[in-house]
Amino acid sequence: MKAETPRQIGARVLRLEDPRLLSGRARYIDDIRPANCLHLKFVRAQVAHARLLDVDTSMLADLEPAVTVFTGKDIGKLSMKSHQDYPEMQYAEQPLLAQGRVRFVGEPIAAVLAEDAYLAEDAAEMVFADFDFLDPVTTMEQALDPAVQPLFDHWKNNTWVERQMKGGDLQAARAAAAHVIRRTYTNQRHTGVPMEGRGVVAEYDPGQRFLTVWSSTQMPHLVRTYIAEELGLPESRIRVIAPDVGGGFGVKGQVFGEEVLVAWCAIQTGRPVKWIEDRRENLMASIHARDHRHTLEAYVSAEGRLLGLKADITVDIGAYSTYPFSAAGESGMAAKVMPGPYDFQAYEATFRSLATNKCPNGTYRGVARPSAVFSQERLMDDIAREIGMDPIAFRLKNIIRTFPYRNVLGFSYDPGSYVESLEKTRELLAPDFARASATAGDPNRRIGVGIACFIEQTAHGTPDFTRRRVPIETGYIAARLEVMTDGHVLIDLGLQNHGQGLETTMAQVASDALGITPDRIYVRHGDTSAPYSVGTWGSRGGPLGGGAVHLAATEIAGKMRAIAAHLLQAPVGSVQLGDNKAFVSDQPDRFVDLAYVARSALRNVDRLPEGMAPGLAAEASVDGPKDGSYSNAVHAAVVDIDLRTGKLKLLRYVVVEDCGTILNPLVVDGQVRGGVVQGIGSALWEHFVYDAEGQPLTTSFADYLMPQAPEIPMIEVHHFETPTSLTPLGAKGLGEGGAIGPPAAIANAVTHALDIGVTGTPLTASVLWHLAKTAREGG
Amino acid sequence: MRPKEFVYHRARDLDHALALLAEHGEEARPISGGQSLVPMMNLRLARPDHLVDVNDLGLDEIREEAGALHVGAMVRHERYLTDPLIRRHLPALLEAVHWIGHPTIRRNGTLGGSLCHADPTAELPAMAVLHGARIVLASTAGRREVAACDFFKGAYMTDVQPGEMLVSVIFPCPQGAHSGAFEELGERLGDFAMGSFGVVLEHEGGVIRRAATVCGGAKMTPIRLPEIEAALQGQTLAGLDAAALGDRVTGLIAPAGDFQVSAEYRRALIGELAGRALQRARDIALNAQP
Ligand SMILES: Cc1cc2nc3c(=O)[nH]c(=O)nc-3n(C[C@H](O)[C@H](O)[C@H](O)COP(=O)(O)OP(=O)(O)OC[C@H]3O[C@@H](n4cnc5c(N)ncnc54)[C@H](O)[C@@H]3O)c2cc1C
Repeated sequence: MKAETPRQIGARVLRLEDPRLLSGRARYIDDIRPANCLHLKFVRAQVAHARLLDVDTSMLADLEPAVTVFTGKDIGKLSMKSHQDYPEMQYAEQPLLAQGRVRFVGEPIAAVLAEDAYLAEDAAEMVFADFDFLDPVTTMEQALDPAVQPLFDHWKNNTWVERQMKGGDLQAARAAAAHVIRRTYTNQRHTGVPMEGRGVVAEYDPGQRFLTVWSSTQMPHLVRTYIAEELGLPESRIRVIAPDVGGGFGVKGQVFGEEVLVAWCAIQTGRPVKWIEDRRENLMASIHARDHRHTLEAYVSAEGRLLGLKADITVDIGAYSTYPFSAAGESGMAAKVMPGPYDFQAYEATFRSLATNKCPNGTYRGVARPSAVFSQERLMDDIAREIGMDPIAFRLKNIIRTFPYRNVLGFSYDPGSYVESLEKTRELLAPDFARASATAGDPNRRIGVGIACFIEQTAHGTPDFTRRRVPIETGYIAARLEVMTDGHVLIDLGLQNHGQGLETTMAQVASDALGITPDRIYVRHGDTSAPYSVGTWGSRGGPLGGGAVHLAATEIAGKMRAIAAHLLQAPVGSVQLGDNKAFVSDQPDRFVDLAYVARSALRNVDRLPEGMAPGLAAEASVDGPKDGSYSNAVHAAVVDIDLRTGKLKLLRYVVVEDCGTILNPLVVDGQVRGGVVQGIGSALWEHFVYDAEGQPLTTSFADYLMPQAPEIPMIEVHHFETPTSLTPLGAKGLGEGGAIGPPAAIANAVTHALDIGVTGTPLTASVLWHLAKTAREGG
Repeated sequence: MRPKEFVYHRARDLDHALALLAEHGEEARPISGGQSLVPMMNLRLARPDHLVDVNDLGLDEIREEAGALHVGAMVRHERYLTDPLIRRHLPALLEAVHWIGHPTIRRNGTLGGSLCHADPTAELPAMAVLHGARIVLASTAGRREVAACDFFKGAYMTDVQPGEMLVSVIFPCPQGAHSGAFEELGERLGDFAMGSFGVVLEHEGGVIRRAATVCGGAKMTPIRLPEIEAALQGQTLAGLDAAALGDRVTGLIAPAGDFQVSAEYRRALIGELAGRALQRARDIALNAQP
């Protein structure tokens, strides 16, 4: 027999988790039903900004069955603290239940615990807060106005932080420029909206003094550490489990006050406590994102070379700093990535995060990059339009061509396919440019083509977080592998799989190293029983988590080979693993089942080579390389706009991407497509609107418009594969990239179609109609 | 997002339903498809103490009688899509129904529920106004008929009184040769419209004898545009300048804007949709000419 297992990495393996997810057998947070559980309902602030004088819970006293209620008076100093260690940054905490002041509509004021969720909701309506109203801060202008009272008493203004980043000689670039192009671009407040909202269940066992917390989170270990520190419990006596998570998108990549509070309530009441977020809470008080304004000034030579860039970046962070990426993270990220894939060596960015009376702004797929790329790529088109160059030719003139490239801020870019992707896109879109020209004079309709060319720093780890002094502090991902007596494998993975296909890709990676087929590999994740890791976010799972699995599996494979060599009486060097067997290279008939090898390692240890320790387990971790590894992509959108109704139809969406080694093409395509759909939502509809009083107007799906299937075209995905030398498998990250390109690509297509520079999103029918009108009237 | 406690009654027949509604008055609400009421209850925007389920009452006939279609309150939206009487007599309504929500909503939602919910841009209320329908309300005190234009009082407000329920709607059939069309636009397929326009043309020998129009989104209830109807009457189909009439519509309406849609846009949009609906109704009529 020939024991040759086909290579798993790179194969189109159907997702192993799908049968569970698609047949209703997944187990989500609301499926966790401890006996005797109390149901928690939050009473949330209905005003944006006020002094909180009193919370009256007296009407709850006589309810039958009895309810328990906690307010800010009961929780001592429990709070969320997330501070980036910048000297300029103003410090603020969010009490788990409001104390003294409320700062956004949706802020928790009280927690009501009742025998069932209906009773809790009824009782929550009977809690009344007494407010002394304050003027809400609802716009960037107000937040920047020195006359406006700060949100926090000890603050000097409403700026969380303002800093600069610079590199090269911007004066010289300006002096040498033939063209100076200055534009302001904005991206609206919106977020990732998972099908399943947040939810927490906590149960405390006083006998063991052991706290178990289930949470719909992307980062169980960080939840555990935060709870331990805040509640003063030994971390060894806390276990945090993320069951199946019905969508995270970065939004569940923060530690939430609700997680800490539910755990605290379980300890206080001595009963399990459950909180399931409803959609209104989710849209109003979970995590918002984006809300950027960038003013960019580009210095361009007469030949169309980008010489330098000046950026002024403002982000509305809302009322509180979220953990662990903090109020400084979003604006800092925008400043850091703004130089993008272009070759220029003079840059200066001022970035600031503002405090307003709105839901806290945190991480959402792409984290600042969709906004940065929007501005960067809109600017590239606006420059090309102004100096009369073809947008793709202009990009090709300025794109980075030699690697590793040291960018203006000192970041080192590993090799990618920047030029190839642009050229491939141009080739793919030739027919669309032709049909766009054909509608150029049509009074009712225009077709436009737009691209977005970008890079994404992925696989970043500790060095990056240390440099930014973020509370996350570290970035390694760890995995522990254990081969059981029957030759089946358990991977305890320090990641959480909420759509990334990790149960499949990690099994593929382990399979190649171990010679054990994926059907014998069980990937357990989202559980603090796995070795410490910071969770799934930031396009790091594949390159770093995959790397950790590969290293641990390789170590075990070495031991299995040694045992097999002993059993087969063959030299170790001649033993190969594959198809659940160990065999001698040139004599495939000489083999031993890996199950037999495993049993020898764990039970029949008398069969082991002399002196060899029993066991077949290994643990490894991989951290991000110094500057991460850079994925690259070009997105292209073709839009058809009805000038008389503003109706936009996406005719085509094309992605050309390079994420290094592809672990599983099906998973890569799925990640890209899912991200693109979210990016289309960012570009066209999704918008959290607040009125002048700070009231959110978009608190249901009737008003917060997400993309639906009929609006989404087929999304074509093309690949280049430039493996990186910086991660063990050559893989770069790709989870977020899909969501980064669409706002820019679609806005550029609209710009092309209407012949007017788009400056912001969302591009709703109403907005497009006004743009078309302005263009027509020569605005 | 859980409703407040309520008592659920499943009415056996119409008399039972009316008795329950009479007994509980303001505290009671009929529930039919539940597609609007249940979300409202979950958001606690509706807080009925008693729900009277009217799903067992029958009331699901579509019947032709004396030049009108009598449509029962419980007829579900999807029924129209395959009903031959609707196809023959109410082509504008048939077009409009395609725009209601999604398949699940059309499968569950009912005529009575849609009219009594009275969303400002809902399609069936617009069709009732377009066709000059009469709405039949019943209570233990008897029955009464209300003209559609008097039935809708404002956004989510109707003439239904406590103790009453809608039992059927009488749509007078357009007379002689006729055509109809309906246009609307929402941000996404299935969304409530930002604006809509429906038209029925009755014609003879290439000349419009009588026209009816309805405009959704211009006001808080669907409105007719008598000026446009007058302008259409006596026009030849061939000479009908739909785009110009669309522009005239724009001049006649002053819709409100909201945080998603500017007033100026909505106004222009409705005019554009009017032009398109008129153009299609004209083309359909011309194509049907012998
Ligand atoms: C996602 C979504 C999208 C939708 N999109 C659209 C759309 O595009 N266009 C559109 O027109 N509609 C839309 N709808 C609403 C849908 O058409 C509803 O079915 C309809 O508005 C109400 O019908 P129902 O039978 O479900 O009524 P219910 O929800 O049962 O009741 C609605 C109201 O009518 C009252 N009521 C019900 N029956 C009677 C009766 N016989 N007599 C007196 N009062 C009665 C109830 O008390 C309640 O106040 C949408 C709904 C959803 C959930």
